[in-house]
Amino acid sequence: MLLQVIHETRYDYLPPVEVAQHMAYLQPCDTASQQLLSHSLLVEPRPAQQTSALDVYGNRRTFMSLQTPHAQLRVVATSTVRTTGRAMPPSVLAWEPVRERFRYRADAVYDPAAEFVFASQHAPRHPEFAAYARPSFAPGTGLFDAACDLMHRIHQDFTYESQSTQINTPALEAMAQRKGVCQDFAHIMVACLRSIGLAARYMSGYLLTEPAPGTQRLVGSDASHAWVSVLLPDLADTDRWCDFDPTNDRWGWGLPGEDYVLLATGRDYADVSPIRGVIHGGANHQLTVSVTVTRLDAPGPETAIQAPGQGQIQSQSQSQSQSQGLSG
Amino acid sequence: MLHAPQPDAMPGPQAPRAASGHFDELRGGNTDGLAAHWSAFFGHAGAGDPAELNRRSTSLERQVRDNGVTYNVYADAGGPQRPWSLDLFPLIITPESWKHIETGVLQRVQLLDRLMADVYGPQQLLARGLLPPALVQGHPGYLRAMHGAPPVGGTHLHIAAFDLARGPDGNWWLVSQRTQAPSGLGYLLENRLAVSRQFPQAFENMHVQRLAGTYRALIDNLKSISPGGRDAHMALLTPGPYNETYFEHAYLARYLGLTLVEGGDMLVRDQRLYLKTLKGLVPIHALLKRMDDQFLDPLELRPDSTLGVPGLLQAVRAGNVLVANAPGSDFLESPALLGFLPALARHLLGEDLALPALPTWWCGERNAMEEVLPRLSECAIKPTYPGSAQHGSFEAVLGGELSARGLDEWAGRIARQGDEHTIQAYLPLAQMPSWQREGERGGRILPRSVMLRVFAVANGPQSWQVLPGGLARVAHANAEIATMQRGGSSADVWVMTRGQVDRTTLLAPALTPVAVAQRKRLVTSRAAENLYWLGRYTERTENTIALARLALESLNGEDQSSVPLLTWLGKMSVANNLVLPGVPAPTQARRVFERSLIAGLGGAAPSTSVGYNLRAVRMAGSTVRERLSQEHWSLIVRAQENLTDACDAQTRGGEFSTMQALDILKAAGRHMAAITGSQTDRMTRDDGWRLLSIGRHIERLGFLSRSLALGLETASVHSDAGFEAMVALFDSTITFHAQFQQSREMAAMIDLLVLDRDNPRSLAWVAHTLRGRLAKLAGSEPNELSALSLQVPNPNSWNLDQLCMFDALGGGAGARQPMTALANLLAQCNDAAFDVSEVISTTYFTHSGESRQSVGA
Repeated sequence: MLLQVIHETRYDYLPPVEVAQHMAYLQPCDTASQQLLSHSLLVEPRPAQQTSALDVYGNRRTFMSLQTPHAQLRVVATSTVRTTGRAMPPSVLAWEPVRERFRYRADAVYDPAAEFVFASQHAPRHPEFAAYARPSFAPGTGLFDAACDLMHRIHQDFTYESQSTQINTPALEAMAQRKGVCQDFAHIMVACLRSIGLAARYMSGYLLTEPAPGTQRLVGSDASHAWVSVLLPDLADTDRWCDFDPTNDRWGWGLPGEDYVLLATGRDYADVSPIRGVIHGGANHQLTVSVTVTRLDAPGPETAIQAPGQGQIQSQSQSQSQSQGLSG
Repeated sequence: MLHAPQPDAMPGPQAPRAASGHFDELRGGNTDGLAAHWSAFFGHAGAGDPAELNRRSTSLERQVRDNGVTYNVYADAGGPQRPWSLDLFPLIITPESWKHIETGVLQRVQLLDRLMADVYGPQQLLARGLLPPALVQGHPGYLRAMHGAPPVGGTHLHIAAFDLARGPDGNWWLVSQRTQAPSGLGYLLENRLAVSRQFPQAFENMHVQRLAGTYRALIDNLKSISPGGRDAHMALLTPGPYNETYFEHAYLARYLGLTLVEGGDMLVRDQRLYLKTLKGLVPIHALLKRMDDQFLDPLELRPDSTLGVPGLLQAVRAGNVLVANAPGSDFLESPALLGFLPALARHLLGEDLALPALPTWWCGERNAMEEVLPRLSECAIKPTYPGSAQHGSFEAVLGGELSARGLDEWAGRIARQGDEHTIQAYLPLAQMPSWQREGERGGRILPRSVMLRVFAVANGPQSWQVLPGGLARVAHANAEIATMQRGGSSADVWVMTRGQVDRTTLLAPALTPVAVAQRKRLVTSRAAENLYWLGRYTERTENTIALARLALESLNGEDQSSVPLLTWLGKMSVANNLVLPGVPAPTQARRVFERSLIAGLGGAAPSTSVGYNLRAVRMAGSTVRERLSQEHWSLIVRAQENLTDACDAQTRGGEFSTMQALDILKAAGRHMAAITGSQTDRMTRDDGWRLLSIGRHIERLGFLSRSLALGLETASVHSDAGFEAMVALFDSTITFHAQFQQSREMAAMIDLLVLDRDNPRSLAWVAHTLRGRLAKLAGSEPNELSALSLQVPNPNSWNLDQLCMFDALGGGAGARQPMTALANLLAQCNDAAFDVSEVISTTYFTHSGESRQSVGA
């Protein structure tokens, strides 16, 4: 599929911000399933400095430094990608040998995927996660089947409810409430897999919505989205990860589907949040995020759906990273 | 030497032996007599006589207290600052013992540096299975943001601390290592100064190795490899005065000649680090870091950190600033790593480790866990990830102190979450002699368990040296674990040398002109703000002491029924927070008023009287501690503690009398005179001092004009008693009577308190001085004023005749007529004090952290 993504983030500050530094993960990756054809990043006002580099996971991140007072910041990322659905080779490996792979022994063979086995800030270790995962991981079950089952169960057991959580809502709280948004589901699935010793990554990106006649509109459309990828060591040497989207109950090799766009890969949201920054001044700010995903090679009329952003006034007393507009 | 103590009268030989199973430092193990070095120590004059030892121990305690050496027990604003605890006797280490420690530590620091270089570079150690990923990628201290960014100069670890314990057989063992922001380098210097002073002959004759050369090597090396080269501007980064070891941050900054900075003092522009100073942005080339890594940069690390500098990691990765130690070393501190180091040493260095660590098992490896579980009762259980939010963290426990059931519970926990638990063999700590005073003339030596922290510092590329000394941590009686949080003590560490004593001093031989010029200019915006408030609170304290004395004396003196005087004193006391609003005026209930004033003096909440102001002086002083002389700081500490202690003692004993209150105030007044003397006479007159002085004068301008205005308003100055009191409040009684004898003329008073250019407590003098200082601060040419100067009323335009004029009231009672011209001038002066303060604040100060926040989407 040929997809265009326009991701606009706007901050309105009161009083104006004096100086600010921001870090953005807004450029889609190049992978076997996704080819980046074009990308542009518009920032207003123009930053005094702007640099970009690859992070430790190979994601492109951009630093911006604004040194003059500004009442508004606008960051618009426009990208075009071609995604390809690929048939996945069969994976029959049971889950226990994969767990053993990451158990340290004197003669253990190192697997770089160990990067994604350990607890992280938004996917902490907790017995609750292990307990929830257990029914899917009966002895001898194939890892792929078990991961699919876990995804189905999260999809069934949890209620999608936008605005029900903030990004600083711990996954554990979303677990207890049995509801949340896409990044909660992704964090929960990641935490479940890691709690039994498996490697799982957090995937940040987008999902196209095409409400075809008679089909349901997919949740998570026209907003940032998040899903999970799981290490299946017997898949292929080049690409051992299979993607699972517990929000929409879909899976696929490289991407959960052709209608997905991958931005960045990390351990959890904290590694790859689309934009974060530190501002001086601007005690109150209103954040508006809008994402528009358009299929450029679609047969029939092009439809671009403008998703209304959600804004919220924040008071100065909040110093944690905040997130709105992430409703996927 | 006055007299040689009889050998059997010396306390050493009579000292009890170390507890069974512990190495006896005093006797060098198990022999009967004293170890040779302890004999030598006690043999030196005065070191063997109990009364003499008591005297020295008291003197040592006083010195520690006077120097204001503190360790903040709880790192929060309200937490107590506890005086540093220091033992009289040093831990003495023989040349042979030291050689062994030195060799082993040098090897270990090199190993740790190589290990870190691999983890942040090719990661071959992980690939070869020599290092478990759980201790790198699984450790919250492994900073992905630093991966692939080699440190400036190639060295990761510039300072590493190693905690050593001496086993029953006299061999030294490594217990733990600290690399992230190890503390102790300041405290141990203070310990050395204090203890060596108590035993000057022993110190000299026993060839104790000196410390300065090592600090010098550290600084020289940092400068030579930093981007600034020889003229590099280096700073010490502290989390601030609430940190538990802030004392030594300030102390080290002064000793090493570094600028003491907090995160809010700096900013990053164009991937370079700058300090915000009174004169604009000044580059910083190297940072000695005393902050945990996670707080360094809210942009890439903890977003809720208000301590760091946004963008700092970009500057570090770009190689524009050297941060020591390189961020990301926290994972090296995990005790779990110790068990893997022998194999890593063989792999990386081709050597066996000369200084062994206590046997340590990381339970994330099944074999290790199964091996050690049956021996839990002989071991210590430690967290693999201390302080981690994502893991189970806990206080270390000794298996030997657990019940059978407790042991079972721990074994269960370990089996479930092996990787979070590290087991370390338990070692009975060596015991060193500790002097315990018993009454005036008595005392004895008791054995106390001790751990030794030693430091390796980088002195060149892949080259380190070990500081010949250290910080000994002494456990309380019966305690097995020596930590400062648990109320242990510390001891100086004397490393004896066979060779030459290194007499290097820290004074750099030749500062380049650039460095000299730079050093002179630097006043950080935060220091400026704190100095300004130090000035204001110093003056406010003096004023409230003077007012409180005047009030108490007047209420009990011959003029105690003068209604205008009492009215004025009542209003003055409320305006200056000596009594709370709502307390009956002295004209209504004199004794109630007096009792309230006395009860509030200590400044305990809700009172904001003298004691409160003194605490504010101390707080402001503590944040610019590195700019104040030792004497100046001691005076502040003593003034504050004496007043608080005295007021507390009096309050505890019920109500205290006017006489007692006056005594306390007089003592505080004497301290303040000495403090202001230090400020006037013993501080370099740079812009920082100028702000302190401006703070004092703004405060004085306001106080003087308000006091006079109230005197007019209440007509107190028109009464004899009120007139006298006003003159007395401004310390001008002697001058006044010398000039005007027994005159009560308003003109005479106005001349002295308003117009006299020679009286430092006249409005004209204050306004004139303030105008000059403000101009100089703004960088104006000599004899030219700045815009801000002009906001202060110009005393040249004041005129005695005009100010003495009473408003024409058709034949009314002369003494009661308003003096509008004077009142207007006083109001102008008071407004100027307020306005100028506002402008200074917005022009010169940082307002750091006031409105910084993290955002994200």
